[in-house]
Amino acid sequence: MKKLAVVLLLVSGLSYSHEMTPTYPKWKRAHLSGILKAKMELFNKRNDVEYYEIGVFNKDFEPVPFVSAYSVIKLKYLGKVVFDVFINSTDKSRVVYICSKSKLRKEDLRRTAVASRICSKFKD
Amino acid sequence: MFKSLIIILASISTFALAENTSINGSVQSRCIISTDTEGTYGNPNAYTLTTAVSDGGVLAVTRFDVTLADAYYAQITAPNSFSTSPSLPDTVTWTGDTVVKAISDSTGMADYETNKVEFDYTDKYDMTATGSTWFKTTSAATMGGSKAYAGGSYTSLVLAECIAQ
Repeated sequence: MKKLAVVLLLVSGLSYSHEMTPTYPKWKRAHLSGILKAKMELFNKRNDVEYYEIGVFNKDFEPVPFVSAYSVIKLKYLGKVVFDVFINSTDKSRVVYICSKSKLRKEDLRRTAVASRICSKFKD
Repeated sequence: MFKSLIIILASISTFALAENTSINGSVQSRCIISTDTEGTYGNPNAYTLTTAVSDGGVLAVTRFDVTLADAYYAQITAPNSFSTSPSLPDTVTWTGDTVVKAISDSTGMADYETNKVEFDYTDKYDMTATGSTWFKTTSAATMGGSKAYAGGSYTSLVLAECIAQ
């Protein structure tokens, strides 16, 4: 019975989770002068979510301009994506967080759902 | 001649068996947010929607897994608006709260609830230990003037955030 409970616990954990790494990314020079880039990885283990919105913020969670291939990433269940976030090097000192937030489609909402947001932090 | 051939063949097959297949992996700190239970509003009277179990509701439960201590804050925000609903006849008063439901480390996580910071509808926890923590969120929406909710589907969102420290 205990084993069954553990299995159910693991299965439930595997079904609906969202993760983004690294926790502490680093800026690197992009191929264009004056542009910095950070490489992030997003993994979708939420079978109720297909879209994640990327955001770049300062310490007060005010948005900072950035460029990425997509600001909203479509990611299938159990899909993984590696994406680059580009900023102007003059914004480096004020950028603190890169966040990904799950986006739920209106037609998919049946109950009180959970929107998840994970934020990585620049520490230097 | 035949013996030599056997020895050569044996040598070749040994080389083939010695071929290594590597499995690479890296371990890094991470936070994983999981939806454990989606909540449901009960409707104990015409003007109240609540997740209270005694009123027929179901509490929303969110699970946080962290693999590095002192690296993350968990922030859970109870709903303060409907994400989908029929038209509302009056303003809605929202109440909501989040508490720790279960922990995987009874020593390292014992103080999570007492040390949390609350502001508005948000509860902020300092994840000082590695492991899993389950948070349950209550939500209630009371229609102003005791007016009745219109028939239809009402949904709202709990926001669960994992923010690197």
